Amino acid sequence: MMRPDGTEEKNEEGNTLVWLTGIALLMQMISIFIYVPTERTEGVIQRIMYFHVPCAWLSFFAFFVVFICSILFLWKKDREWDIYAHASAGIGVVFCSLVLITGPIWARPIWGAWWVWDARLTSTLILWLIYVAYLMLRAQSDSGSMRARYAAVLGIVGFLNIPFIHFSVLWWRTFHPQPKVITNEGIGKGMDPSMLATLGLSLFAFTLLYFLLMGERVRQEKLKDEIDHLKRKNFYSS
Amino acid sequence: MNIFVSQIMAIVWKDFVTEFKTRELFSAMFIFALLVILIFIFSVNLSIVKASEVGPGILWVAFLFSGTLGLNRSFVLEKENGCLMGLILAPADRTTIYFGKLISNFVFLTAMELFILPLFMVFFNIDLLEHLLPLLLVIFLGTLGFCTLGTLLSSLSSNLKTREIMLPILLYPLLVPIVIGVVRMTGQILAGEPLSGMMNWIGLTASFDIIYIGVSIMTIDHILEE
Repeated sequence: MMRPDGTEEKNEEGNTLVWLTGIALLMQMISIFIYVPTERTEGVIQRIMYFHVPCAWLSFFAFFVVFICSILFLWKKDREWDIYAHASAGIGVVFCSLVLITGPIWARPIWGAWWVWDARLTSTLILWLIYVAYLMLRAQSDSGSMRARYAAVLGIVGFLNIPFIHFSVLWWRTFHPQPKVITNEGIGKGMDPSMLATLGLSLFAFTLLYFLLMGERVRQEKLKDEIDHLKRKNFYSS
Repeated sequence: MNIFVSQIMAIVWKDFVTEFKTRELFSAMFIFALLVILIFIFSVNLSIVKASEVGPGILWVAFLFSGTLGLNRSFVLEKENGCLMGLILAPADRTTIYFGKLISNFVFLTAMELFILPLFMVFFNIDLLEHLLPLLLVIFLGTLGFCTLGTLLSSLSSNLKTREIMLPILLYPLLVPIVIGVVRMTGQILAGEPLSGMMNWIGLTASFDIIYIGVSIMTIDHILEE
């Protein structure tokens, strides 16, 4: 309506992504619940892995995007990068929360406890806290340029902290299952091929989901900017 | 280079003079650290738990909490009467503001820690004098790490609406690696282990300090920009 040029085209592009993501998620469901065999020792609960691992992948990927966009923002000072960083941080926190929820559900029957202070659990929790603080910082500071600069600094500082968190908690203690997909014997030797295929499909579906959500969030933020702009124009200019 | 150092020293000297005149920050930090230690002593039963096991954690929590008080003041003080604007407008590189604040924060916190250590020794019945040198090295590394990141984030949070609340929320998750490191090292030192057995932790905290000084130099311009 506001922009008759290319709005139609953009919608169609968005629609293809929606369809692709929908189909991928549906296929993921089918393969998780029908195709893939039940794990021998852990039983049916192990199927939660096909959500848990992709959620973790998606949130780490989202935080990496925040880091890159923060650097690009401080370099170019372009509002576009700030929008991307904000959108990605929000999505990352949502999926990091999902990791922290699905983790204990899986851990309870297997380890016999909801929560153990294992290395990867602890570092995910700290990561979640860092990016919740990032979102709080954005909510706390009002003026546009200041908020963007501060958030970008925290986006960089926070991501650079990840290796430190990783090693410090690793030396602190660890219980997590050793990496199964990429082992010393090569990629994918530690797992049944059907499980590996399902996991791959899940990762693919969640990556599509990330881009879909990202597109929506960016569109929202841009509309918000436009509304602010119109408001300022109509209230203060006359 | 010489000008750079003298500019930094001017800022540090200014902070020292203010502190000697008012004496409000140091005493507040010291008493607060003491209170934190006391509260922890009341919350753990020292007749059941070994003092040398809980001691290091309590000591560092006290340092961390009272250090946060100092960090909060560090830039908020400059906001009054537009002093920060004056510093920014001064014909000097903005990293000098960062380094000046870093050094004064570091000196205040270290001085406070040196006053707390004897009290810690008395309260917990731990002999620190035996392992004093390695302990001082650990305190140096830990305090430096706390101050590098703390000064950067304090310069940032001083411009927020709820600055006293936001600083710990931003700072503490980022400090987790260094807290785990120093508490571990302090515990091992008090147990009589040599420094050579904890080279990985020393490397971790030292590289934390160096990397965050570097990041601060690169990003402080974007924070102190009005």
